[in-house]
Amino acid sequence: MSTALLEATSLDKSYGRIRVLRDVSLTIGAGESHVVIGPNGAGKTTLFKVLTGELYADRGAVRFEQRDVTRMPAHRRVHLGFGRTFQVAKVFPKLSVQDNLLVALEARVRRGNPLGRVPKAQAAAFPGAIASLLADTGFGAQRDSISGTLAYGDRKRLEMAMVLALEPAVLFLDEPTAGMSAAERQATVELLKTVKRKRRLSMLMTEHDMAVVFGLADRISVLHYGQLIASGTPEEIRHNDKVKEVYLGDGDEDHA
Amino acid sequence: MRNPTSFIGGGLRRDLLILAAIVVLGCCVPGVLNRGLVFIAGMIWINAVFGLSFNLLFGLSGVLSFGQAMFFAAGAYATAVFTQQLGLPFIPALLLSALTGGVLAGLVGVVALRRSEGVYFAILTLAFAELVHILISNTALLGRNDGLAGLQRPRLGIGGWQVDLAAGDNFYYFIVAVCAVLIVFIRWIIDTPFGRALQAVKQDPERAEFLGIPVRLHRLVIFVLAGATTAAAGALVAPWAQIVTPDLAHWSNSTNPILYTLLGGSAYFWGPALGAVVLSAVFYLTRTLVGLSDMVTGLLLLVVVVSLPGGILGLLSRWTGGEGKR
Repeated sequence: MSTALLEATSLDKSYGRIRVLRDVSLTIGAGESHVVIGPNGAGKTTLFKVLTGELYADRGAVRFEQRDVTRMPAHRRVHLGFGRTFQVAKVFPKLSVQDNLLVALEARVRRGNPLGRVPKAQAAAFPGAIASLLADTGFGAQRDSISGTLAYGDRKRLEMAMVLALEPAVLFLDEPTAGMSAAERQATVELLKTVKRKRRLSMLMTEHDMAVVFGLADRISVLHYGQLIASGTPEEIRHNDKVKEVYLGDGDEDHA
Repeated sequence: MRNPTSFIGGGLRRDLLILAAIVVLGCCVPGVLNRGLVFIAGMIWINAVFGLSFNLLFGLSGVLSFGQAMFFAAGAYATAVFTQQLGLPFIPALLLSALTGGVLAGLVGVVALRRSEGVYFAILTLAFAELVHILISNTALLGRNDGLAGLQRPRLGIGGWQVDLAAGDNFYYFIVAVCAVLIVFIRWIIDTPFGRALQAVKQDPERAEFLGIPVRLHRLVIFVLAGATTAAAGALVAPWAQIVTPDLAHWSNSTNPILYTLLGGSAYFWGPALGAVVLSAVFYLTRTLVGLSDMVTGLLLLVVVVSLPGGILGLLSRWTGGEGKR
């Protein structure tokens, strides 16, 4: 527990009278890939929003490197080392690929100060950084393309490159393979593995595809009606009877 | 591929060259046109800055304000008060007027941006502008409904060098100089990392926030800067028209920069400036058609919004295959 990078304790969140999260606690260790699974409506997305600062929990606490961030705005969590990608990749559609990355690189240097300057020496390193970020993410299209015209796979890669430009400590990935073909999913898994190895990142992910889940996870947590019903290594989860009952069904062995 | 980057159009260097050309052209005006037209030309310069300031919010940052007239009026009244009633020299008065606009925008922005976005923000700015209008109309110090008249054009002393701006067309040249400086400043903002972050905020605020860009703070800061440049433009009106009236804060004056921007093309840096020129020309040409002038303007706007969503520059850009002058 002392090595936990991110620690959520007893999170509660309701929308009106509907309790979406009930007493959810989980930790992400340094360098750990933690995947949250659960049926639709289990509260995965809400948990994600509460952890990243898009929403605040009604009760409970979120700590990052021992620091209480429960009510810290999202952009300040980013300055601490949170990186987030969206289920449907979000990029700035009217900016070129390199301007998208420039915005991210400048944002990291300026740390939220609107009048913050970017020192010349740092700005001079940006073209090199852009090139290596695009290479790292396997981005295939032209750098001066308008990003709104990119194929979806490249838009996903661009978004990943933008988030990596922030040099995050923990990466939040909301269904990173949603809407992808089998080949693209495989490529994404490889990309995430490479990124993780190269940058020693921690990750928290939600994912539906079991092949992806078991391909990436060091640890899996299972949400069911807003409650965490199990948390453990992939092996433990695979053989957990409660999980089998509510979620995995019988066919999970096929994905192993 | 059109528009290498969404808002900016041409590069900084090209836009500065265009500005230099316009300044040279603008300085020829008093040589060829009569006094009445020189007055209109001065107003066009001022209104161009008014429009460009509005587009810092709308075109660059995606912030829609229906109340920019309050900053314009604040600048005009501030200059009148600072120079005539407090006896300050003109240049410090001009700077203080810009500051007044910035502070007012800060106060309005903190309240209006707090919980509202999009159309709610627009309506709140409209309400604040109406409040300013009513306050001005009821303040004895500001001349109530009559405004402040008989304003003198100043004499500038720079070092041992004296320029009487009341003489000849001197104040017109002074307007050109100040507006050129303001336009350079506005164009420079767009080219900074802050300007790029604002484009990001406009295109996807959530993505921007999750890149560590505080969206609301960025909107507030650009609102303050636009308030300051708008007030600086307004400050030039006081000595130029030699009268300030509460009409400057009327909602119809808030629609002016919106019209310029839609007419010229909000996606182009020069859009609002071109819009100010064209709309002023339309006003001038229809000035004798009492009552019809508003109808012509309305029709023109209808045509632009319905059939030319990119404004005049959008149309030119389409005709020239995307490489049009912006």
